[in-house]
Amino acid sequence: MTRPFLDLLRAGLLGLFCSISPVLWAASLHAELVDTQGQPLAGAVLTLRGPLGAEAEPEQAVMDQQAQQFVPHVLAVRTGTLVAFPNSDNIRHHVYSFSPSKKFELRLYQGTHSEPVLFDKPGAVVLGCNIHDWMVGYVYVTDDPWFEVSDEQGRVQFDALPVGSYSASLWHPQSPNMLPQTAGTLVIGEQPVQQRFTVAIQASAEVVPTAAPASAFGDAFKKAQRDAAP
Amino acid sequence: MPSKKRSVMLPRSFQARIASVLILLMLVVVGALYFAVRTATNVAVRSQAHEQLDVGTRVFEQLLDVRGRQLHDAVQVLAADFGFKAAVASGDRETIRSALANHGARINASAVMMLGLDGTLEVSTDSRISGQTAARLSAQAMAQQRAGVQIVLMPIGDSIYLLVQTTVNAPLPIARVMMGFEVDEAFARELRELTLLELTLVAKQDGLPAIWISTLPASTQALLQSNMATEPAAADDLMLIGAERYLDQRVLLASGEGFEVEALLYKSMTQAQQAFAPLDRNILLIAMAALLAALGGALLLARNISQPVQRLAAVAERVGQGDYQMPLELYRNDELGSLAKAFHTMQRGIAERERQLAHNALHDALTGLPNRNLALERLGSAIAAGRPTALLYVGISNLRGVNDICGPGASDLALQQLSQRLQGSLRPGDSLAQLMASELLLLLENSDDNSAIVISDRLQQLLSEPLRIGNHEVVLDCCVGIAVYPADGETPDDLLRRASIAMQDAAQLPGRLQMYERGRDAAHQRQIRLIRDLSRAPNNAELLLHYQPKLDIASGKVLQAEALLRWQHPQLGMISPGEFIPLAERTGSIQNLTTWVIEEALRQLREWNGRGLNVQLSLNISTEDLVDPKLPERVDLLLQRYQVPAEQLIFEITESGVMLNPTLALQVLHGLRDLGISLSVDDFGTGYSSLAQLKRMPVQELKIDQSFILDLDDASEDAVIVRSTIEMSHSLGLKVVAEGVEFACSLRLLERWKCDSAQGYLISRPLPAEAFEAWIALPLPTAALKVF
Repeated sequence: MTRPFLDLLRAGLLGLFCSISPVLWAASLHAELVDTQGQPLAGAVLTLRGPLGAEAEPEQAVMDQQAQQFVPHVLAVRTGTLVAFPNSDNIRHHVYSFSPSKKFELRLYQGTHSEPVLFDKPGAVVLGCNIHDWMVGYVYVTDDPWFEVSDEQGRVQFDALPVGSYSASLWHPQSPNMLPQTAGTLVIGEQPVQQRFTVAIQASAEVVPTAAPASAFGDAFKKAQRDAAP
Repeated sequence: MPSKKRSVMLPRSFQARIASVLILLMLVVVGALYFAVRTATNVAVRSQAHEQLDVGTRVFEQLLDVRGRQLHDAVQVLAADFGFKAAVASGDRETIRSALANHGARINASAVMMLGLDGTLEVSTDSRISGQTAARLSAQAMAQQRAGVQIVLMPIGDSIYLLVQTTVNAPLPIARVMMGFEVDEAFARELRELTLLELTLVAKQDGLPAIWISTLPASTQALLQSNMATEPAAADDLMLIGAERYLDQRVLLASGEGFEVEALLYKSMTQAQQAFAPLDRNILLIAMAALLAALGGALLLARNISQPVQRLAAVAERVGQGDYQMPLELYRNDELGSLAKAFHTMQRGIAERERQLAHNALHDALTGLPNRNLALERLGSAIAAGRPTALLYVGISNLRGVNDICGPGASDLALQQLSQRLQGSLRPGDSLAQLMASELLLLLENSDDNSAIVISDRLQQLLSEPLRIGNHEVVLDCCVGIAVYPADGETPDDLLRRASIAMQDAAQLPGRLQMYERGRDAAHQRQIRLIRDLSRAPNNAELLLHYQPKLDIASGKVLQAEALLRWQHPQLGMISPGEFIPLAERTGSIQNLTTWVIEEALRQLREWNGRGLNVQLSLNISTEDLVDPKLPERVDLLLQRYQVPAEQLIFEITESGVMLNPTLALQVLHGLRDLGISLSVDDFGTGYSSLAQLKRMPVQELKIDQSFILDLDDASEDAVIVRSTIEMSHSLGLKVVAEGVEFACSLRLLERWKCDSAQGYLISRPLPAEAFEAWIALPLPTAALKVF
């Protein structure tokens, strides 16, 4: 009970501070997120920790389920954000997470679930649907005040970042061990900044076959026959 | 007996031969068929077994695959279970272990393991599986999975496991779950149920003994293991495990580092062949039936042939035994029918010919009269019946002469006529037979000797009637000898011989008829012996000459002698010339005797001449000698050899001797006379010769037969004959010698009638050479002296 109250208090204080010094909001950041091959990486998260407090208090976020997919695929939220899981499909979903940051389960439901889920610990939370195995969504919970998810072109844009020095972190569902990667410090001046970030990603260790498996013993048999043939 | 046996054996063997040939053929056919079928079924069985093996193998693989996929699917379903995921995500090992056990039990997994994504073993339901093993298994399963294989067969410990691995996604992979299903014999049996193949799974691991799971019986399995150890199985070859033959197929199911799992599939050939066992049995049955049918058919066929053959053989055998009447009814249109017909013809032909032969054997070819054999047989039957029978033995002495008179073949005609004439005269019950060309036999049954003589007499009259042959009339000279059963003998041979002897005796008689005299038989035997021994007598020095002095009546001196032949038989003693000379004449050995006599006489004369004893010797020359044209020549040679003057020899000849062949005889006589030998007519008065005939002959002397001299007295008829003979002889210039002078009175009469010489016991009996020599040296015999 105490902890949410304190969080709320801190967020309120931070908002007060920001509204006092609007002049410092000077430039924007255009970041381009690519993988190690230099390909634009969609669904990657760039978080920035700046000189000032939070730009905004934690708010409500929505992870929708449309056409049996989580939309968006990657949702970045500040720690303490309440995320609603509306179901836009006409079928039921059973959203769950076993991620250590947030374990929850929204039993079969339709429409908007009554209670949004509070993500109160930073970390990556993998969302699944118990009845649609292919539905995978990620909620990246961060303490950093600034965060953005790259678009299809791997672009991230921050407008009106206060001038200052920022430490940047990167995260992607395929980040090694799903841990955030530090991307160094970034100085934001009055001029807009163009920055390119390379996200280390790794291929999934588990091969999940998409096609029907071949008949192994059929092959073995054919081989045996070939061997037997003179 | 042997022929009987053969006749029984032959058809049997014939039947057996036909049967065995047929059966053999049938056996060959059935055997060939059986082996053809056997080969075909073997091929079929093999290919079928191959096919079954192939199909079974495919089925097996499919089953394994399906099973694997089912398991895989089951595992995936399990891994997708939210509760399971929740348990796995819980991170609590005990919870996870229980969840694994629980969910593993749902799909009958033997072992369930959870591994981290990095392959470290997190939790396992089977404590025997170490982390290291699990990591290795997982890595291998991963490798297999990457190659597209969901399930892996792998040995773990002493079991073979079917391993299925999947990731637990929540929704991203959070762990791997590996489930192992132990492949046990129940599983193998299940596969066998579906594939119909014996299945053996072998897992080999490095450094560990191979694991065997098999549906084969334990013993077979052990054999198989040892087989596998010793020799690698060749593909597509029959494998012998114990007594069972198997077609085998090896399939490598899985292999990896240090392990290998193989499936050995076996199709039992024995089992496969069992499907054809009914066919084999049927063929065997059919073969047996065919063989039986062949046997029956063969026997029937053979019987059909051999029975008629047997009948023919029986008939032939009867024909062999002389029975031609056995009926042969075999009405068939085949070869046997014609054989039977031919048999029948042969049977009749043989019967006819045998009748002919029998007739010929028992009858004379010329006259058709029964021959000697038949006559003897009839006689035999008469004797057997005890009927008194008379044998009339008829000999025709001049039959040969008929040919000389009437030409060749006339004797046959004469004989035929004669036999017809005789047959016409027979009483019922009498029979006529022809014994030889010139000898006939009449058998008169129920006749004694008296009636026989009566009939013989009538017969002789019949025989003496002339026969007409061509333009000639011929009178046959027939002699009849009679023997009577039972008086003259008990057997046909004896009777016949005795009748024959009687006939020979009859030939010497004017009546030409003679009853058999008792004892003639023995005499006949003696004659035969003498005839036989006579030919050897000259060489055996059994012959010798005795000399009977001839008294010259006028001078009272003995200047002449008659050499008389004597035969000293080694067993029978002295044989009289009266006995053996006629025999010699009859048998033709007289010439030998004559030659010996002449030579011996010449030798003696030379001896005596040498001692100053000059005697004129008279020698008897037989009838046969007179027909020998070479006689003068031979005598001449002998005279020269012994250096004896021919004048010392007088050859005494008989009237009949000259009469036999007067021309030749005269020629010989002249030849002898030319040598200087004197000729004398012996036994004058006994023949039919006349003095006129004597006149033609070159004789110097005449010898009056002793029958006239013996009882000579003044008044007798003989005296007239003797006296007139002497007178006539003297008038013809012939000297006269009187033989058989035994009494002085006879000598006195002869002297009165001027008879030239006298010979007889009154002067001297015939003397051996030394005795004669001694006798002649005496002054004069006392008996002779009485005359003067």
